[in-house]
Amino acid sequence: MTTSPKTRDLARWLLNYEAVSAKSSESMESVTLSVYEKLRQSLSAFAGVAAFEALAFRALTQAKSEAPSLWAVQVTEDGSLHGLGEFEPQIDIDKDLAGKFPAGEGGIILIARLLGLLLTFLGEALTLSLLRVTWPGAALDDCNSENGRKA
Amino acid sequence: MSTEDKVKINKLPTGVPGLDEIVGGGLPEFSFNIIAGAPGSGKTTLAHQFVFANATPERPALYFTVLGESAIKMLRYQQQYAFFDPAKLPGSIRFINLSQVVLEKDLGAVFEQISNEVEKTNPAVVVVDSFRTMVREPESDLELQSFIQRLALFLASWQATTFLIGEYAEEELRDNPIFTVADGLFWLRQAAERNSIVRKLQIIKLRGQDSVPGLHTFRITGAGVQAFSRTFGLTARKRNPPSDRRLCFGIPELDKMLGGGVREGDSVLVAGSSGTGKSVLATQFIAEGIRHGEPGIVAVFEERPQAYAERASSLGLDLEAPQKDGKLTILYLRPLDLSVDETMHSILDAVQKIGAKRLVIDSLAGFEMALSPGFRADFRESLYRMIFALTGIGVTILSTVEVDESFTEFPFSTYSISFLTDDIIRLRYVSIDGQLRKIMVVIKMRGGNHAKDIREYEITSKGVVILGNRLTNYQGLISGIPVHSERSGPEEEPSQNPKMGTET
Repeated sequence: MTTSPKTRDLARWLLNYEAVSAKSSESMESVTLSVYEKLRQSLSAFAGVAAFEALAFRALTQAKSEAPSLWAVQVTEDGSLHGLGEFEPQIDIDKDLAGKFPAGEGGIILIARLLGLLLTFLGEALTLSLLRVTWPGAALDDCNSENGRKA
Repeated sequence: MSTEDKVKINKLPTGVPGLDEIVGGGLPEFSFNIIAGAPGSGKTTLAHQFVFANATPERPALYFTVLGESAIKMLRYQQQYAFFDPAKLPGSIRFINLSQVVLEKDLGAVFEQISNEVEKTNPAVVVVDSFRTMVREPESDLELQSFIQRLALFLASWQATTFLIGEYAEEELRDNPIFTVADGLFWLRQAAERNSIVRKLQIIKLRGQDSVPGLHTFRITGAGVQAFSRTFGLTARKRNPPSDRRLCFGIPELDKMLGGGVREGDSVLVAGSSGTGKSVLATQFIAEGIRHGEPGIVAVFEERPQAYAERASSLGLDLEAPQKDGKLTILYLRPLDLSVDETMHSILDAVQKIGAKRLVIDSLAGFEMALSPGFRADFRESLYRMIFALTGIGVTILSTVEVDESFTEFPFSTYSISFLTDDIIRLRYVSIDGQLRKIMVVIKMRGGNHAKDIREYEITSKGVVILGNRLTNYQGLISGIPVHSERSGPEEEPSQNPKMGTET
């Protein structure tokens, strides 16, 4: 079972947002890690490191079945991610801004899986609340817009 | 020191229906409280209700979770409750997990993290769930006590109202030095009694204000915790002075026997065996009240409201229209596992909603059977509290009770509750001239004189109708097997202006 298109769009949107925030050409690994790390910090503070690690491990296991390129990736005891990017391509920020972030890439899938678990356990309202705290400047309500920045 | 000089302690809403009344109007602001109880007793839900009722973006709530249930799972379940407003997270309510610092460091580090978060956020409410899981061997209760004392001082100075949640068994509550630090100690317990779960709440201590002592029933539903005060929320209301006003049944001969009717604010017991017309009499009492503009409540346990109204209709009494007009409520209280206090709160709510002057409980046996077995032991005591509370505000209560017909004694009730009643009307079968007839006698009227006559009656299409004069030609009527005698005497007329307290 894959994540819903809506969840995948949300993941793609967060990665785009993060890539734009970096204001320079970033690798897929770097952007994914940045999004993941922000989620880790936020969720660990909220639910505890062990709870995040368990969620992340489950998300990674699910993501690996969709994206074999993630085979080398591991979740460590503190919930951080190791081994991402070894086989990931560079992403093009210009394409990213145009909403052409390549679908099916490991980074998107992993983040989408993590968000999918949050949506399953907490529901949409609380998940979005959590994301708003993690990305205070992001207009998550407009996550279908091009870059989602608040005016 | 005058009253004006004394510091005013603000009372915060608990967010738990019924609990504000129990704690004396609300929870003291800046108090340091402990909620103790076994797992599953509702501690976290109670704390959540308080948090959701009081947290604001300006003065948020900090909810620290420790080991045990993760915040994700906690919120997954808690958001099912009606009080849970997701919009309050994270602006007004912030969850922070302390498990890492608890596992890796000591209580000093835990205190430091809590104090850092408090200084950063300036919260109005702080919850630590569960503080007991912070202690690991070889750390002792002494260390925990010291930590709690430090935390209490710190949080009070930061003007936060605090709840610490802890799993404690009943025996651990006694002489536990940890609890000496707390301003408020809430104990929740649940026990299985036969096939039912009985939940009770006790305010073991609450500094600064009067709480209602004793064990209070509570229930956890989709709305969260709901508490039922033992005093039914009527402690603050003054008792009405005794009234001389008489309320009629609309049965002229019976009203005459009662000296003009039952006294307003009395508790009347109509006792008799099956088929003697207790419910008919009760229905006539309610219908007569409605005719005089007195709203009424009928609490039924043995038949549904529709059937009750239809039966009244067959007696020529319209109970449908007053229900539509808001002058009458027929409460059907039949669900099993109901606590006596919950049932009585339903009755009280209905009484207060329509301003009822007359209340019929039909019947006490049905009432008792509707309760969960564990609550039946409290039945008499709770009934006493409800009757005392309601009659105190001028509601006249008529309860029916079925008694086993005996030919060797003349019981009034199998419940030994006649002490709860001001007036008793006894109905019974007698064997006369080869027929099973019905007789009625007023046994007791606390507020005045009443006829001592034993009267025969019938149940007709117009309800209870008293026949002829008193039965003077029989002896031993109350035995049910009277003996015919030729002796007769004059009918006694009770005083229409009875003296108070002549009958006890």
